[in-house]
Amino acid sequence: MARRVFLTFIVLLFLVIGLLPVLSMLMKSVIVDGRFSLAPYRGLLTSARQWTLMGHSIALSVLVTGLTAVVGMPLGILLGKTDLPFRRFFTGLFVTPLLIPPYIIAVSWFDLLGREGLLAHMLGASVTSATAHFLFGLPGCVFVLFSIFLPIPMLLTIIFLRTVDPRLEEAGRLVSGWNGVIKGITIPLILPGVLLAAMLVFLLSFGEFSVPSLLRYDVFPVESFTQFSAFYNFRTATAATVPLAAVTLFLLFVEAKFLRERTYQLCPSPEFKHSPPIKLGAHSKWLFVSVAITGLVIVIVPMIVLVIQSAGVDTYIEALNRAGDSLLRSIIYAIIGAALLTFLGFFMGYLIQTKSFRCWRSVDSLTIFLFALPSTVIGIGLISLWNTPWTNFIYGTPVIIILGYLAKYTALTSRISVTQLSQISPSMEEAAQVAGARWFRRVAFITAPLARRGLLAGWLAGYIFALRDTGITMLVYPAGNDTLPIRIFTLMANGSQQLIAALCMVMVTTTLLPVGILWMVPGIMMKKVAR
Amino acid sequence: MIGISLKCKHLLVTATFVAVAIIFVSCNSTQPHSETVTVYVSEDQVFSEPILRDFEKKTGIRVKAIYDTEESKSTGAMNRLIAEKNNPQADVYWANEPIRAEVLKQKGISAPYLSANAKDIPLMFRDPEGYWTGFSARARVLIVNKDVKDVPRTIRAYTDPRWRGRSVIANPLFGTTTSEMAALFTIWGDVQAREFMHALKRNRVAISTSNGESADFVASGQYDFSLVDSDDAVNRMRQGKPVTMIYPDQGKDGLGCFIVPNAAVLIKQAPHPEAAKKLIDFLLSRETERKLAFADCAQIPLHLGVQTPPELKPLSKIKVMQVNYAQVARKMVEIQPFLKSWMGL
Repeated sequence: MARRVFLTFIVLLFLVIGLLPVLSMLMKSVIVDGRFSLAPYRGLLTSARQWTLMGHSIALSVLVTGLTAVVGMPLGILLGKTDLPFRRFFTGLFVTPLLIPPYIIAVSWFDLLGREGLLAHMLGASVTSATAHFLFGLPGCVFVLFSIFLPIPMLLTIIFLRTVDPRLEEAGRLVSGWNGVIKGITIPLILPGVLLAAMLVFLLSFGEFSVPSLLRYDVFPVESFTQFSAFYNFRTATAATVPLAAVTLFLLFVEAKFLRERTYQLCPSPEFKHSPPIKLGAHSKWLFVSVAITGLVIVIVPMIVLVIQSAGVDTYIEALNRAGDSLLRSIIYAIIGAALLTFLGFFMGYLIQTKSFRCWRSVDSLTIFLFALPSTVIGIGLISLWNTPWTNFIYGTPVIIILGYLAKYTALTSRISVTQLSQISPSMEEAAQVAGARWFRRVAFITAPLARRGLLAGWLAGYIFALRDTGITMLVYPAGNDTLPIRIFTLMANGSQQLIAALCMVMVTTTLLPVGILWMVPGIMMKKVAR
Repeated sequence: MIGISLKCKHLLVTATFVAVAIIFVSCNSTQPHSETVTVYVSEDQVFSEPILRDFEKKTGIRVKAIYDTEESKSTGAMNRLIAEKNNPQADVYWANEPIRAEVLKQKGISAPYLSANAKDIPLMFRDPEGYWTGFSARARVLIVNKDVKDVPRTIRAYTDPRWRGRSVIANPLFGTTTSEMAALFTIWGDVQAREFMHALKRNRVAISTSNGESADFVASGQYDFSLVDSDDAVNRMRQGKPVTMIYPDQGKDGLGCFIVPNAAVLIKQAPHPEAAKKLIDFLLSRETERKLAFADCAQIPLHLGVQTPPELKPLSKIKVMQVNYAQVARKMVEIQPFLKSWMGL
């Protein structure tokens, strides 16, 4: 009974936090002077510009998805299944861009290739005219988003490789070389994971706002933000978000139909640990060089550019003077957001994993729908619902930002919880139940401690995504409560490149520091235990 | 033993949550004895923030601000004010041009306030009822590459075949370019102004995303000249770029140079009206104008006799385009469909 009541409360809470703002926004967009009207939607459908923008969004998303899948899957196989030197280092290296706000990578390339960039100083304006032409527009957006989202297919390939039973591959090896086995056995088995990655990349590229707006490529999410922020046309802004929501829903329907059963619970093969990696032999050198060059170009070069641009203690002192308070706020909001995301995600994951309610699939789909929904949609929805004199304690305080985090990122922590909980035998909880322990005690003292690694990973994911959030926070932050990503965005208007680069480096450090610490701590603990 | 350990864990977790919650609340609660004022700012943060910090130091009143981003083309803050009309969060709006301040007046979002510091500011640059008051202005100037021999001295150069394909202008749907176009519509009338816009197209005038980009195009020699804000031009000159700044249409029969002052606006039903008035007084002071003149934004003081840097002409030496900003604001809304179709949207 307690379990049912509590989980119902959690679902209702999530509906209020996540679904209600979106519904409120849709309602307000179709009610004009107390009457039902679809005028903004009609205007949208008849405007040639909207179709052009939709074309831009689809072109961008398709190109980024194709490129990341084509490069990410082989890269994942190389890093997850072969004896390539430094493969753990490379995995960490390629994941880095995903952990930091996307526009920081764009800023870095702007500092390198822009008309006033480092390359212009070294090679002259004639060269940078061409590079700036490349950067500002579709090719630049594709390249930057490719470098950011490449880790998604790479990581999912690595994870799904662990679910492949090595005995199948060994059987294949009896009649074929590794190339044939990979093509004929491994890739078909990990294909659902790659397709899931491709879908995620498509949705994230489709909803991405900051990079296209910085690189001046007009896409649908930018239009929605501009309609709201520059024209204050709330209804058109809402109408402009509907196609985004429709595409998101369609892809989620496809995922639920064809991929969900094969991807939502991952069971690593027990034999995987004992299977030796593929020996690359003579191919090792050129493959190592290829991977190293790719990492150098898409990860190390942008970081070095930021370091060069921000060089000088004075720049960092000025950066901290200008944005120290925003940095502190960012960390506090991210810590609180991550804690609440972990809490909410754990129980949502518990509900999904144990199939406590008949509607568990709908709950799962809703979290993913909100995750995939562009941030501007959620931001406008939050304003629409909470901007009233009676709810100022939410709208006028940072609570509105935290609600945005919970609406958008609960899918991350609930999915992590599902994966972790699926590896805990139900008999543990059942044994405690037989011994007379109530549900809250069973969850608090049996399930949660056993899922602590998942909880920690969930907290970390929540912290990183809350810290890097730009789209929601930019629309809803109350006066005097801006976060560091927002401060960087507002200082970009006429702020010096050095200052922006220094702030970006501060942002990168703030994001990566806890990742590094939490990566190292378990290793140190294990060594102590071993002694 | 295990029980104690679990209790300790509980205690630790609870204590952590309470500590974080206290930090969270203390970060955002207004201290009971200190005043605060909330200001929405369309002027670039790099220039406006130091002024607001000076105000904090001088008065002890804490300033909470929301700044515009480049993407919202300096209108995001104003639009948030419109969204919050029935639930105002802001006390003051620091607009970077008076047109949008006029729009707020017309929408019933601002309140009148006649500051004592405004009495020396020319009448043209303030609302007669006090719904907004101008200070520290930008001039709309021509930035011209130094390689150009016979420099253009009028905005009509845009339609001169001599400059075919050699000039650039920022997207007229946004920012001060919209305001200037609307001003031209009020002076020339619709027919002449539309003809001017069509002539721009025929003369293959390039469209950039912003005044800053236009200035960069001219500095790099990609185009010969552009109509930009004076701060964009001064900025490039201070960087040593090969450009000069021309105040257009200064001849005897010339149209004059369009002046775009900042505007301070009191918000209707502001949560902190007294602190708001103090901030407006501060923004309209001679000292603020002097600081903004010597900052990188290089803005022209509207008070007579305020010192200016050498690159800037004082207002008294500029022939000013005579416009009524209220009419310009109304015209700006009216010509939006035309400007959109002109842009092919």
